[in-house]
Amino acid sequence: MPQGLTDAIVGMRMDEAMTIAKRMLDNGTDPLAIIADGSKAMEVIGRHFAEGEAFLPELIMGGEIMKSISEEVMPGGAGGAPEGSRGAVVIGTVHGDIHDIGKDIVALMLGIEGYAVHDLGIDVPVEDFVAAVKEHDADIVALSGLLTLAFDAMRSTVDGIAAAGLRDNVKIMVGGAPVDESVRAYTGADGWGNDVGRAVKLAAEWTDGGA
Amino acid sequence: MDHMAEEKLGERLIADWVRGAHLHFANDEARKKYQARAQLIIDTIRLKDTGKIPVIPAATQKFALDYGPVTFREAMTEFDKAFAAYVRQYEDTDFDAYVGPEFIFPAGMFEALAWNRVRLPGVHLAEDNSFQFVEAEYMKAEEYDEYLDDPSDWILRKYLPRLSPKLEPLAQLPPLRNMVVFHQGLPDLVLAAAENPGVVDAMKALQASGESVQEWYEYLGRIDQELGGRLSIPHLLGPMAHAPFDIISNYYRGWRGTIVDMYSRPEKMTALMERLLPWQLQYGIDGAKAQGHPVVTVYLYKGADGLMSEAQYEEFYWPTLKKLLLGLVEEGLLVWVFTQGKYDSRLHHFKEIPAGTCLIHLESGTDAFLAKEVLAGSQCIEGNVSSALLATASVDEVEAYCVRLAEVCGKGGGFMMDFSAFLDEAKRENVKKMIEVAKRYGRSSS
Repeated sequence: MPQGLTDAIVGMRMDEAMTIAKRMLDNGTDPLAIIADGSKAMEVIGRHFAEGEAFLPELIMGGEIMKSISEEVMPGGAGGAPEGSRGAVVIGTVHGDIHDIGKDIVALMLGIEGYAVHDLGIDVPVEDFVAAVKEHDADIVALSGLLTLAFDAMRSTVDGIAAAGLRDNVKIMVGGAPVDESVRAYTGADGWGNDVGRAVKLAAEWTDGGA
Repeated sequence: MDHMAEEKLGERLIADWVRGAHLHFANDEARKKYQARAQLIIDTIRLKDTGKIPVIPAATQKFALDYGPVTFREAMTEFDKAFAAYVRQYEDTDFDAYVGPEFIFPAGMFEALAWNRVRLPGVHLAEDNSFQFVEAEYMKAEEYDEYLDDPSDWILRKYLPRLSPKLEPLAQLPPLRNMVVFHQGLPDLVLAAAENPGVVDAMKALQASGESVQEWYEYLGRIDQELGGRLSIPHLLGPMAHAPFDIISNYYRGWRGTIVDMYSRPEKMTALMERLLPWQLQYGIDGAKAQGHPVVTVYLYKGADGLMSEAQYEEFYWPTLKKLLLGLVEEGLLVWVFTQGKYDSRLHHFKEIPAGTCLIHLESGTDAFLAKEVLAGSQCIEGNVSSALLATASVDEVEAYCVRLAEVCGKGGGFMMDFSAFLDEAKRENVKKMIEVAKRYGRSSS
């Protein structure tokens, strides 16, 4: 009943989704197939979100249901390494700033959109961004921050990536509630956003030449 | 109850606050200047067309400290240095009200307890970095009933031990509700203390933390006297209260936990918010009485556009916030409603509160011109000058935006000039330009 699983997740019905996933597993369904069904549900939620029909709670709750299903059907397994065909994204909250809600949402949404998202967490030093860009051969770097103090950290991160000779390999976006065009100019990034939709749109423009 | 002849609490507090009853003024001129400013703040909230635009600061943090210069770490430990920086900043900038270092709390208060809800400069972060709060799941999903049943017990024996390792021994105390039978339950209580030496250490840690707060309050009082009594600047940030939804989300369940609860146990959440509501209302009223301050500040966090749907806002967020605002206004108090994040789609709700009682702060993500349209004749608005603009743009760009704000939002009163958020990085010339535009507009239209 794959349709049932997708519907339950899109409908935010955690208990029902878990029951269906467990039943599929008991009936011998490949765990990867169960997770693939869940991913379809997340795509639907992502589409609703992009169209303004769903909001952050749906995205987060959908993510929570998916997390529970993964833990149930593949305990201790496959959770980590992201796959993605549209490009590799390195994302993190810049050093000196520990806010993570906006960053988490953008990471979640870009994952749904088909990017391989490498989330470095919060208070991330410049050198960690540089190392991750090299390691994952990143196409996009997303720098997050909520404090105005983060503007300098964003700028030094962009500078650090340039100093490592990687600036031409990546597109860099800066994001967060106080971020605007003046911050983009100040930091030397390629684009900016203060909501999730803008981050997704920017990424699409950069990797596909359009949304 | 006969309220006919009774003066409301808020009316008395407004009169005292405008008079500066709590201050010793340097001279008559200082008194008159203070009173004119305080009256202007009240009149503007009351939507009178004064022909003037007051300029207020959401809060000046690093911007003020740079007048020392003082690092964030120093500001939390060496109050005299921060005092001098704040005074210098307010001498240099012609604000009509002030917000002090109320959020630059004493490091000792949290350090004595190893409080884990905060990251401190000089400990977890660089010396000159702003402290930051950690939002985590301090209350488990299955603890709603426990909280609803006996909130003080949950706070004493569950919440405090989770917030501070120094307070973990409090978890060993018996529930205080059991202090009834067999010598009023005294044997159980004292035995728990005797068998857990950590309980005594916990009390010592509380004492050490409290001593920092004593020193800090004394310093905040000195700032008020200096800025109010000498520089004639009224203190805008007084008592506070919280929206019940934000309490659950910020302090108890975390944002993720709260979202899961909205779908998985909505009735428990609603019950908890209804329980919190009268306590927050009383907290705001008691704070107003204790501080002699007529404006209760309510910082809003999780109700912004995009953080939930309008239907969720109307089901979960607004009902208890509305009751809180109405309850404060019923006492004659005014409310500084500090919206954070984009708030365009929620603004119309504030029309449900009696006109001229709320001062609605707008961050830069909110469309101030739309807010003016929606709330004209209903509530006063303030804010919106982007911190990013003040930090990175030219004076001319700042002037252009502020002029537009003054002309559109200032029309007919009900507007104050203010930046978007707590001010850290900002060019002084930009902040001064913002102030100058507001004052110029006042002169040209009066």
